[in-house]
Amino acid sequence: MIEVKKVNKSFTLFNQNNAKITVFKNLNFEVNPGEIVALKGPSGIGKSSILKMIYGSYIIDKGAIIINNKNIATLSAQEILKLRKTSIGYVSQFLKVIPRISALDVIMEPLLNSGDNKNNAYKKSIKLLKDLNIEKNLWHLSPLTFSGGEQQRINIARGFIKDLPYLLLDEPTASLDSRNRDIIINLIKAKSNRGVSIIGIFHDEYSRKKLNVREIDLNIETKH
Amino acid sequence: MIIPLLKVTNLSKSYDNIVGCKNISMSLYPGEVLGIVGESGSGKTTLINCLSGNLEPDRGKIIFSINNKETDFLNISESEKRKFIRTDLAFVHQNPRDGLRLNVSAGGNIGEKLMSVGYRHYGNIRSLATKWMNKVEIDKSRIDDLPITFSGGMLQRLQIAKNLITSPNVIFMDEPTGGLDVSVQARVLDLIRSLVNELNLTVIIVSHDLAVIRLLADKMIVMKNGTVIESGLSDQVLEDPQQEYTQLLVSSVLHV
Repeated sequence: MIEVKKVNKSFTLFNQNNAKITVFKNLNFEVNPGEIVALKGPSGIGKSSILKMIYGSYIIDKGAIIINNKNIATLSAQEILKLRKTSIGYVSQFLKVIPRISALDVIMEPLLNSGDNKNNAYKKSIKLLKDLNIEKNLWHLSPLTFSGGEQQRINIARGFIKDLPYLLLDEPTASLDSRNRDIIINLIKAKSNRGVSIIGIFHDEYSRKKLNVREIDLNIETKH
Repeated sequence: MIIPLLKVTNLSKSYDNIVGCKNISMSLYPGEVLGIVGESGSGKTTLINCLSGNLEPDRGKIIFSINNKETDFLNISESEKRKFIRTDLAFVHQNPRDGLRLNVSAGGNIGEKLMSVGYRHYGNIRSLATKWMNKVEIDKSRIDDLPITFSGGMLQRLQIAKNLITSPNVIFMDEPTGGLDVSVQARVLDLIRSLVNELNLTVIIVSHDLAVIRLLADKMIVMKNGTVIESGLSDQVLEDPQQEYTQLLVSSVLHV
């Protein structure tokens, strides 16, 4: 379960006349195991910020985010690293990888980093590549040369390859054609059926409906 | 409770009246990669030179905890310190020419390092050297060639092989991709990253290139005027910087 309790977030831009941008005040919600929560609201309202705070890449100004009985707001850097490794999958909006590393290696890496053996990691990754409908001739190429939709699927594969209890998805179905979108939707459903708590940003009504999400409207939840 | 592999407390070093680094405290855990960023003169190099034993700090504490054995780095005898540096630490210089002997063959450079930690059997040394040439993607037929015949990228990879072959516990890297062509940088970066993952290396890397830090480092510290002004997870410091200077640094990066 993920609990977001009385969370405040603002940004101070020191190099732009110390402008202070308040993103939200007193944000509260929770996500139960197996549940898919969709964050809703216009661009700029802080949907991605919430995912990043849960993942620990944004500071939580005030309040608490509880995962596995641990409060992200007060964990040290190495505790967050450990929690990520054991519990939290995150699919960012854009793929960030080193040039030259093949798609297959990009996907295998999270498994190898957690001590899985090479053979196992290879088999799992190949299966996921096939499930995601990535052409075989691309597996050994760097995803940086791929199309937007292909890159996104590699990014999703990297986030989905491990069995983790929490998943954060930042627009996983954007820039995909309808066939591939359905593939991703089914993968997300399968995770949810296995009890994974999922928070996502889904730009399209279709995905939200298919996934049977619970919507959290940030326009209502956050008082500025 | 995991004990930090390296714990630094209030470390300071001045050059006459000029501050090198001041009151630095930090911890590094096994398998972590720590990035140090900051402008020229901010104290990055002074700091890693103190930590790696190349410089004697004025004040502070450096404790390494390796295999349940604590080493109080600034309070051991000179000979113990030399031995510790030889067996437990490694230093990859920005300019590979500073970390290699150019008039000794590639294999000789690697072999020398092995001999410094006690290897004596020529056949073993040569086969290990060959294995490592292969690991850093240098054709093994070049083992008897002098490094002066190598390209910049190859030299850097050779320096990395030489440093890692003895399985050091902490590896310091000072701008390891700094002097290389962009195309070669990616290759060296990729190599460092795959070795870090494969061998679970603990690394402290200095770079002014935030992209390098982002791709390699789990944690980072930002230095200015000899002090640490911000520290944390690399992605957190880069995506949600809390200090004015860090924000300036991050916002100044050019995106292609």
